[in-house]
Amino acid sequence: MNSSGVTRSGVLLGLCLPLLQACAGNGQGLDANGRPIGESGGSGSVPLSADLSSIEANVFTPICSKCHIGGGAPEGLRLDSADAYNLLVGVPSTEVPSILRVKPGDPDNSYIIQKLEGHAAVGAQMPLGGPYLSTATIGFIRQWISNGAPPASGAASGSINATPDFVVKAIVPDGSEPVAQSPPQISVAFSRELDGNELALLSARVESMDGISTVTARISLASGNSKVLLITPDEKLAPGTYRVMLRSPVTPQVSDLSGRTLALGKQSQNGESELVQFEVEVLP
Amino acid sequence: MMARLLSASFLLLALLLGFAAHAEPYLAVEEGYKCNVCHVNPTGGGLRNDFGVTYAKVLLPEQSIGPEFDKWNGKVADILHVGGDLRADWSRTTAPNTPATDGFALEQFRVYGDLAIIPNKLGIYVDEQIAPNGSQNEEAYVRYGNTNNGGFYFKGGQFYLPFGWRLQDQSAFVRQLTGINMTTPDKGVEIGYEKPHWSAQLDFTNGSANTGSGTGHEVTGQVQYVQSIWRLGLAASSEQAQVGNRRMAGIFAGLKTGPVAWLGEFDVVHDDSFAPAETQAAALFEGDWRLMKGHNLKLTAEWEDPDRRVPNDQFTRYSLVYEYTPIPFLQLRGGYRRDVGIPQSPSENQRQLFVELHGYY
Repeated sequence: MNSSGVTRSGVLLGLCLPLLQACAGNGQGLDANGRPIGESGGSGSVPLSADLSSIEANVFTPICSKCHIGGGAPEGLRLDSADAYNLLVGVPSTEVPSILRVKPGDPDNSYIIQKLEGHAAVGAQMPLGGPYLSTATIGFIRQWISNGAPPASGAASGSINATPDFVVKAIVPDGSEPVAQSPPQISVAFSRELDGNELALLSARVESMDGISTVTARISLASGNSKVLLITPDEKLAPGTYRVMLRSPVTPQVSDLSGRTLALGKQSQNGESELVQFEVEVLP
Repeated sequence: MMARLLSASFLLLALLLGFAAHAEPYLAVEEGYKCNVCHVNPTGGGLRNDFGVTYAKVLLPEQSIGPEFDKWNGKVADILHVGGDLRADWSRTTAPNTPATDGFALEQFRVYGDLAIIPNKLGIYVDEQIAPNGSQNEEAYVRYGNTNNGGFYFKGGQFYLPFGWRLQDQSAFVRQLTGINMTTPDKGVEIGYEKPHWSAQLDFTNGSANTGSGTGHEVTGQVQYVQSIWRLGLAASSEQAQVGNRRMAGIFAGLKTGPVAWLGEFDVVHDDSFAPAETQAAALFEGDWRLMKGHNLKLTAEWEDPDRRVPNDQFTRYSLVYEYTPIPFLQLRGGYRRDVGIPQSPSENQRQLFVELHGYY
């Protein structure tokens, strides 16, 4: 073995390691999630319980948000305190759109539980590469879902933008890739809670792009999450490319609880709006 | 004598501090190779090409196998290459004030395929994770052009973005912070340039923040200059998304000093989806010491600052991994990993012991 090479290697290691060892923060002035104490009213650790605030503080923020945060979040799923509820509860998973990420009252059929327990239909167990959550920790998340998956009891404790604007945050499926089967519903997630009374004026249909097939669809709010609108086709969709059309006596729109309105989709001349296009794949 | 003393000190220091990670690019640094020397994918990882299979059979393991068993060359037909990776492990994790957890896990079983429709010109590549759980497509793209130092090539479909070291450890801080690793493919197109000492890519893709919303896009670029004992690379990315734009820049380098290959990477991310916008940074420092044929000692130190505005919140991780490749296509790995972060966070101060079985072909 080349002794001068070993010497150079040892010197390099000896210089770099102490430098890196000294780089960890001492945590002074921070809460258990590394945020400044008092930044958002929090003052430190919160015991883990079947409450979304507690799950955020003990699981989502310290563990999941290592990856599921900001613009680079996998599957667009941001698990910071401002977005976790909106992007989880009543929202179909992107990997298996027929399963909701969190189905209030039904932990077994909630995709997040399947991913955490390692028996989801697609992909690896989360957190990716482990260490995986203990049965007890997953039990608290199960209990929160069994309790109806209510929103966080306290104020948001993270630093993510609370998105005060009234906008569409996600549509699933969105046409970015074909879906493997007829989607049970098309989900539209908004930044604010919707006024369910206003939905009575809205009707929807799903039509094939060639105009041959048209399926009527029901419009409703997601169970336990009034920030998510579900458009449920009355029949299964055969393989092909479709678009979702909305109709209303006036401009197709939704309202939030404070009366702010938001027009939906691209409006056509006949008063309808095209919300989204997507493709149902032909399976071999 | 001095060399031995230093070697022993090196090993002892590593054992005392604890280190690790599962990276393969050290082989490229050690040999002075570019990624396309061993991999079908010019940006590295996944299916090995003819030379990559030969390297795995002859140069990597402690012992070769007899010619009567040496049938495998990665080809099931002249134009069809296949390969795969299976990783299963046992790990034990401890953290302050938290019950210890341990257990066996199947981390991944992936299969790769490359159909060379027109050799060195037109091909279709697939990377499919088939276990655990259901099948999940990671990469599937059409490639046009010669990726073997033949100038420009084109890719279209779903693929991993080029950004920094393509590490096997997807949880490395630099891979987590950037969100670009071998579990987060994106859809779009890539134009690449491969010459003997140069490798460059420019990608136009959807961007991970646009999954589910269908708006916005991401532009990613990387350029790397490779010499026999050192290399230097630069990477940058800009993503436009409704939740907020995100920009990243990174520098990565490799150096060979005697028997040790060193890898370093430093990345900075500016993310407007936070309010106020946050600037984050992460670094990787890795040393791989090929003690003898079939034996590698891997030392890794990582650092991350999750928010440059907030003082005292940085965390680090140190790892030590021993990799033993007794025969071709079989590797045993054992390691210890220690996180050092703010004292009030149990997850930032956990320790992990693991043993891994890695089969590949």
